Amino acid sequence: MGLDYKLVLWNKHKKTYDKIIALGMVLYLVLFIALTLAFNPETIAETMIIRAFGSLAVIMLHIILVIGPLSRLNPQFLPILYNRRHLGVSMFLAALIHGVFAIIHFHTLGNVNSIYAVFTSNMDYGSLTNFPFQVLGFLALLILFFMASTSHDFFLKNLSPNVWKGLHMLVYVAYALILLHVFLGAFQQETSVFTIGILVLGFIVISSLHLVAAFKESKVDGFKGEKDTGGWLKVCDVHEIPEDRAKIFSVGKKRVAIFKYDGKLSAIHNVCKHQGGPLGEGKIVDGCVTCPWHGYQYLPHNGQSPPPFTEKVATYELRLDNDMIYINPIGLEEGTEVEPILC
Amino acid sequence: METVITAFLTILALYFGVGLLFGLYFMLLGASKIDSIMRDSKKKVRLLLFPGVVATWPFLLRRLFKSQTAD
Ligand code: HEM
Ligand code: FES
Repeated sequence: MGLDYKLVLWNKHKKTYDKIIALGMVLYLVLFIALTLAFNPETIAETMIIRAFGSLAVIMLHIILVIGPLSRLNPQFLPILYNRRHLGVSMFLAALIHGVFAIIHFHTLGNVNSIYAVFTSNMDYGSLTNFPFQVLGFLALLILFFMASTSHDFFLKNLSPNVWKGLHMLVYVAYALILLHVFLGAFQQETSVFTIGILVLGFIVISSLHLVAAFKESKVDGFKGEKDTGGWLKVCDVHEIPEDRAKIFSVGKKRVAIFKYDGKLSAIHNVCKHQGGPLGEGKIVDGCVTCPWHGYQYLPHNGQSPPPFTEKVATYELRLDNDMIYINPIGLEEGTEVEPILC
Repeated sequence: METVITAFLTILALYFGVGLLFGLYFMLLGASKIDSIMRDSKKKVRLLLFPGVVATWPFLLRRLFKSQTAD
């Protein structure tokens, strides 16, 4: 949407979220070190740093992974979703500190290259329990680096949204690698029961939230409305849509958001041009449909971003019949003006 | 196993080595050729993008060739 690239797209809310992230990280580290000193006073500083940042990164990764499904289930979580990028980059930095300290601490003594040492200090690649767990951490860190370094809008556009999305879906591969890294590490080092507990609990929470959210979406996709003689689809009663909000329907394999605002109804394609955010989960702000993910805006009656921006989404024709909304399932060209219907 | 590890790490090092060179080119010349919006953006933005450019140079290189044939 921007006409030039900014270092970071700041606004007041984002600054508040970033302060919360930074404060949360510092608080966790202080708490971790205080508890370690209280219960394991003989722990050396390097080990403390390695463990503090490793567990911090893993907790942040969990938060990142639950935000998606949580905000699909309850729009109140959406504001956190906008800030997920900064959370991701901060998580990478925490993981990087963990990895770098581990490499310095364990692998800089010999005369071989220290990265090479991560891969070769334990050659038990055939073993299930003694597998070199640090290699898994290294590969996960590599993935996190690719994601964090490409989190700017420049890459979304220039890598193409598909490549970018594919790259960022690798977060699940990284998550699996990290799970193995920590579990195997637990066999071979004295990883705390606390960390293992968090991971088991986290895995249950993350997978069940993803399942519930997917189930909810499958209900939208499975929507089979009645068709009238003209082929228009009967969708819902006009009162089911709250003011300045939308309901999402799957219409001819596409998801469509029907918005109600100022006593009018308009329908547009549900997919934001920025990163495919669900427009129908956003609100009407200043007369524009506002994407819940990063705030791109579209005029509801023509699907166009207000000038000087140039994004356009497809629009759909609607009809009202005894408070029942009907939609023409054949969408119009992106940016086509459709007279809103009055309700 | 050691040959596999050596091969993997060599490829990784080469990938990032070429990436660094491409990143340098990006900072100096390539940025606005890849994306015209970069012309109007602050120079600091390129610094922020640098690590990602090093990481994803093959995709950006492809884009550079495409944009040149399109012009
Ligand atoms: C180059 C990459 C990495 C290396 C060399 C590495 C190395 C290590 C080592 C040596 C330990 C055992 C520490 C100890 O028990 O004293 C460890 C544990 C751990 N690592 Fe990594 N790691 C890497 C990447 C990662 C990443 C990317 C994450 C997560 C985002 C991660 C999360 C953890 C966690 C949660 C623990 C357990 C900490 C605890 O004992 O409570 N590591 N790692
Ligand atoms: S997906 Fe980013 S604003 Fe819509």
